[in-house]
Amino acid sequence: MITKENSQFVEISNLIKEYPNPYGEDFRVVENFDLKIKEGEFISLIGHSGCGKSTVLTMLAGLNEISGGGIIVGNKEIDGPGPDRAVVFQAPCLMPWMTAFDNVMLGVKNVYPHVSKQERIQIVEYSLSAVGLGDEMKKYPREMSGGMQQRVGIARAIALQPRVLLLDEPFGRLDSLTRMELQDVIIDILAKEKLTAMIVTHDVDEAVFMADRCVMMSNGPKAGVGEILEIGFPRPRERKEVFDDPNFFAYREHLLAFLEQRSHIKGEPRVFANGEILGFMDKERVEVIRRNHEKVS
Amino acid sequence: MVLNFVTMKKIKYSLLKTIDITGLTFLDPVVRLCYGEEPQVQLKKIGQWIIVPLIAVFVALFVIYDGFIVDTFKTKSGKLPTSSKIYSSYQAIDQLHDDELAKEKAYNLSGEEREVELKAVEEKISSVAKALELAGQAVASQQEVTKASIASKVAPIQAEYEALKESIKVAATARAEELELFSQSMTPGDESAAEKLLELVRADDAQDTLDREKRNLIKEKISVTLGEKSLDLEEIKAEETYFSERLAFLKTYKTLLSTENKSLIIDEKKGRISAYEQELTTLTGADALKKAKSIVKQESVISKKEESEYAGSKTIWYQVKRSVLCVFTGFFLGSFLAIPIGIFCGLNKTFMAMMTPFIAIFKPVSPIVWLPIILILVMGAFPNPDKHPFMEFLGELPLIGVYKINPAFIASAITVALCSLWATMANTALGVASIDKDHMNVARVLKLGFFARLFKIIIPSSLPLIFAGLRISLGVGWMVLIAAELLSSSEGIGKFVFDEFNNGGSDSLAKMVVVVFIVGIIGLILDRIMVIFQRLVSFEGAPATI
Repeated sequence: MITKENSQFVEISNLIKEYPNPYGEDFRVVENFDLKIKEGEFISLIGHSGCGKSTVLTMLAGLNEISGGGIIVGNKEIDGPGPDRAVVFQAPCLMPWMTAFDNVMLGVKNVYPHVSKQERIQIVEYSLSAVGLGDEMKKYPREMSGGMQQRVGIARAIALQPRVLLLDEPFGRLDSLTRMELQDVIIDILAKEKLTAMIVTHDVDEAVFMADRCVMMSNGPKAGVGEILEIGFPRPRERKEVFDDPNFFAYREHLLAFLEQRSHIKGEPRVFANGEILGFMDKERVEVIRRNHEKVS
Repeated sequence: MVLNFVTMKKIKYSLLKTIDITGLTFLDPVVRLCYGEEPQVQLKKIGQWIIVPLIAVFVALFVIYDGFIVDTFKTKSGKLPTSSKIYSSYQAIDQLHDDELAKEKAYNLSGEEREVELKAVEEKISSVAKALELAGQAVASQQEVTKASIASKVAPIQAEYEALKESIKVAATARAEELELFSQSMTPGDESAAEKLLELVRADDAQDTLDREKRNLIKEKISVTLGEKSLDLEEIKAEETYFSERLAFLKTYKTLLSTENKSLIIDEKKGRISAYEQELTTLTGADALKKAKSIVKQESVISKKEESEYAGSKTIWYQVKRSVLCVFTGFFLGSFLAIPIGIFCGLNKTFMAMMTPFIAIFKPVSPIVWLPIILILVMGAFPNPDKHPFMEFLGELPLIGVYKINPAFIASAITVALCSLWATMANTALGVASIDKDHMNVARVLKLGFFARLFKIIIPSSLPLIFAGLRISLGVGWMVLIAAELLSSSEGIGKFVFDEFNNGGSDSLAKMVVVVFIVGIIGLILDRIMVIFQRLVSFEGAPATI
């Protein structure tokens, strides 16, 4: 049974992001964005380029100032960035003058000030092994491929033992094979650590495969939650099983249809899914998805 | 055999890496050629980066300079020095340095070594004296020859001069007589006759001037012929000067081994003390007191002598080393100020705004303006530098003590610091301000504190630009230092140039040209050192240098 606290572990309410506009009213990128995330839930945020997905995520991370509304994480309103919300950026953002080990240690030192040196080293080694870099700890970023660098970025994030993991298009710059590897790495880690996570992505397959719920954002300006799609696959997920599942294509179609149709409609009133599938779709497709849903549950 | 091959490859790659880091890229094709890698490509590169520059230097030095510039430009003290003369000046400067070292060694020699050396020197002196005598005779005879040849050249001109003088005299007397006759034949009131007389007098005056000029022309010809220098004579004279200089040096060397030798003087004083001590035992009263006092006095003289060092003149390599020490002192002083200020400027816009007026106004100030001000301040701080504890402390430092740091040195170093710190400051501020936003975001997510941010992220990421600034600073500092030494008379390269300028000797110009090359080569080495440091702290995607 999910308690109230758990079901609203992250609560984003009426979130607004405005940028000043010298020639008129302030430019509103995001308006009235509402979302509640359960503890341990994996949310994927999908939408067209420039609709404000990353803006929402960086506001949640505390890196971007909030213009209106609020974000509560674990009963506390956020105020700036913090190690309880680790971020994996699109670029690995490693310090080029430090080895993989030192890059991970950078945050660990600060987050665990009272822990002995030996224990810190253990934490760093554990998180690097978790992303599959147990043997490459002493390498510098320039000696690693883009995928390996991004693994270090992930290790740096999980070494902080955050409560929320925020992934800002983390695989956007990687080839599809590496991308799949890293998706599996993230899924494994989340299964082990039971973290709450949010991923911003352009990739429909990724959004369906990784998340418990897909949040589709309406187009900006004044973007908000357009629709929410529950993904019913059980966890832990196996790539082959998920991709072979007939529902996978239905979900995929649904997301694509949303992206195709909504891309032309601006400022639509938000439609909440709440388990029910609504939206501008032809009846047949809705029927297919509903049937598949029943099969899953 | 296989292993050998592998190690050879390893050596090759480490060599190539060293060449790359030090920026001596012209050596790269040489190494590759030695390993037989694409010989044609390497030969082409060698031609481009080694042969062509060498040819350019050769042409500039021996064809354009020696063949054209030297003949075109003249100075007060004669022609410009040819490249071979510049080289022999370099040798002379170097010789002077070796001589000073030898003298110092002689001063400190003692015991048997001294006696052996003394004998050797006496032999050398006699042989050099003989050579000098021969050279003197050669000069005398050559002088005779030159004199005779000049006299034979002058004689016909002199005869021509005499003849001309005579003919001019005759013509002048004739004209004078004619004028007198005409003036007597004039009748009063005759205007045309008066005009004619005036005309005649004017013509006579013009003829006089013309004649004088003709005479002067020949006179000048005579003096030029008399002053003609024979090249043979010059060469022989140079040889004579060389031997006489060697002889002078050997004579001083000998005195330093004998009468002015440290150990000899001390021994002599010690002998005197022991004699006094014996006398003291036989004396009483006032006489005894007097003797005892003089013994103590002699003892203090000995202890002073024992500490004394040979006081010779400063030579070029000593001055070069002192200049390098001075430039690094100023450079470190400047960097010590510039880097922290630059970091704060980059971090804080308000601080930057506070600093901007100071930077804008002080940056363009020339070292010539700074130096006198600094010199007054430093001399004020050390009114009696020889006795000041700080100066004494510096004088006793192990490696630096030899260079006798004085207020002029400190003022030069501070001037270097003040003129060179701007490049480092600007580059540091730029490096800190242009730090990658993503890196700062990482720092924010990790909640790094101020010092962790500073030392783990901000400084490492701006190091490449900081070192680019330091490189510029060191170059500027080296240029400024020469001027500062010239003004402050701080013993160094600048002072060497100024001394030569004031000397005005026949080879002063050549010596100054030698200094041009010394300063250039040392500046190049300093720059290369900084390039290596810059390469070592750089990382992929580092901000580009300006």
